[in-house]
Amino acid sequence: MKSSRILISLFCLLCITLTSCTSGDQVASNDLPDQDDNILRLFNWNNYISQQTIERFEQICQCRVTQDYYSDNEELLAKLAAGATGYDLLVPTGNAMDTLIHQGVLSALDKAQIPNLKNIDPNYLGTLFDPDNRYSIPYAYTTTLVGFNREKLAELNLPTDSWSIIFEPEYLKKIRGRVTVLDSQRELMAAALKYLGYSANDTDEVHWQQAKKLIIQAKPYWAAFSNTSYIRELAVGNLWVAHGYSNDMYQAALDAQKTGRHFTVDFVIPREGAVLSLDSMVLHHTGHQPDLAHRFINFMLEGKNSAELTNLTGSGNPNLAAQPYILPEIITNPAIFPDMAQLTRLEMLQDINHTQRRLLSRIWTEIKLR
Amino acid sequence: MNKFRLTRWLISLPPILFLLIFFAAPSLIMVITSFRFPGEYGGLAPLVAPETDTMAGDSSLYGLTLEAYRFFFSDILYAEIFLKSFAVAATSTLICLIMAYPVAMLIAQSAKKYRNLMILLVVLPFASNFLIRIYAWMIILGPESAFSHFINNMLQFFGFEPVMMLFSSFAVLVGTVYVHLPFMILPLYTNLEKHDPVLLDAAQDLGANRWQRFWRVTWPQSLPGVFSGSALVFIPVLGMFAIPDILGGTGDILIGNLIKDQFLGTRDWPFGSALSIMLMLVVLCVTGLFTLLARPRAPK
Repeated sequence: MKSSRILISLFCLLCITLTSCTSGDQVASNDLPDQDDNILRLFNWNNYISQQTIERFEQICQCRVTQDYYSDNEELLAKLAAGATGYDLLVPTGNAMDTLIHQGVLSALDKAQIPNLKNIDPNYLGTLFDPDNRYSIPYAYTTTLVGFNREKLAELNLPTDSWSIIFEPEYLKKIRGRVTVLDSQRELMAAALKYLGYSANDTDEVHWQQAKKLIIQAKPYWAAFSNTSYIRELAVGNLWVAHGYSNDMYQAALDAQKTGRHFTVDFVIPREGAVLSLDSMVLHHTGHQPDLAHRFINFMLEGKNSAELTNLTGSGNPNLAAQPYILPEIITNPAIFPDMAQLTRLEMLQDINHTQRRLLSRIWTEIKLR
Repeated sequence: MNKFRLTRWLISLPPILFLLIFFAAPSLIMVITSFRFPGEYGGLAPLVAPETDTMAGDSSLYGLTLEAYRFFFSDILYAEIFLKSFAVAATSTLICLIMAYPVAMLIAQSAKKYRNLMILLVVLPFASNFLIRIYAWMIILGPESAFSHFINNMLQFFGFEPVMMLFSSFAVLVGTVYVHLPFMILPLYTNLEKHDPVLLDAAQDLGANRWQRFWRVTWPQSLPGVFSGSALVFIPVLGMFAIPDILGGTGDILIGNLIKDQFLGTRDWPFGSALSIMLMLVVLCVTGLFTLLARPRAPK
């Protein structure tokens, strides 16, 4: 009978492990007491601020900064919609910010408290989502593009400056199983629409169906839909082409270089145009520390602090005062800092309504299943 | 007597409350959600639209709708995903059963002093996080791994094309079988351990060979263990989404991934809830079937 009791306790252990692994990524948003009035609470992207910067701010303001993370705009929206509260600052991308503004959950900024706003390149102010920057201050940006193994593609004589490398079977058959695309309905659709010559924000169902056809045609040659693992796989040489974000490609290139691989990871904005994601700092209405949040925004807009972010992550930076501090290999890379000509070919994604979302979801399911 | 009943109630109250609050209430919320309209920016549309005349006598009054279910049945696509998830779950269960049975038998037949140690070894993988173990498989199955090189060298030696093991349905099966194998071994072991060895001796005395002894004595007796183990594997695999996300290729979408997408991707709560309810109904049917089968039979 003793052994059966042990067995039962082992079973309980199993069940605990099983349940704990499925609930692992919940937001611990209500852990901190509300009355603790010297804490700035950030809800930020993974790895999207330098630890040094945080520590410096903590020293200046004599406060503590806590962070929760998300890896996807949809995750941010979903967690806020599910009731996560108490965050002072969020860093959403344009279309997610659009949703948040329409939901009325952001607080307007007091620009008198943010004198460093003058550092921001006017090209990145007054976006479609927030024309007067009532709610948002640009933080950093990325482009969605194609990263590739330069030596391998040169050897196979394949184009690297066009979406055709991930959509045309003629090219794909030479790199079968060595390609991944983003596991994101909007991003992949945008790439396909751009390749077909439409706007990334096109919502015409006929065009969506064309894009679906293009994607399903190319899918057999792709290894997987991947949002993060492509960084490592590209850096170790398992993948030769990946559809992904410029900052991730920068990390992959850096990894490959640091580990002394005999190839280089390179990335280029396709000539058909691509998606530009501008992330902005916004105040959530449930935040307890609006003053501290304003101080933080102003602090982040100082050239040196802002440059630390770019030097760490390889993201684009709309802050003109930051440019002298940015590593030369980052600021001269046109895929990270697009020039004016490229900027005109980049589009920011706009949010779509629920009927369109449902339709896109069905198209997406079909893409996955076929 | 009265006091005894009171104690019994007091003891069972916490678990009952727990289930009511954390299981019954959320399920009810999910059922209601599945009959509502999605909000413009995610979440749900308000139950009563501000400009609607609340005295109007139709069902749009309460903002309830069958739209999510209509959408589900409007396209064969979703039924296909259900079927596919069923196939994956059934295959994993079968492989688990084939692999777990000999192990469980080995443990049950070994000397008593080693049994607990062996059981401990079976559950030892649970000491490390589930996701870490799945990521480990990513490295093992990756194209540059020693294992991959070995397999592909073998294949090439025999004149076959090299294969890509990571990001495939094969990798998903490897992952699910690996994670769920202990769930099959443990119930089988508890069952097999209780078998009376005298029965086997009797069968041998009556002239049964090894094979006959297994099929006519051990196997029928172990069926309750087989069914409960199968339920413990089949049902979690049916709703799983992390393994196909990490190890799967471009076509490995299961019902779990679809539901997750509705909440974290499309922000379509009503459709996600409707899918969950369909899945729950299916799981209930399967559980019912397994319970029926696992019921110990009366001896003839």
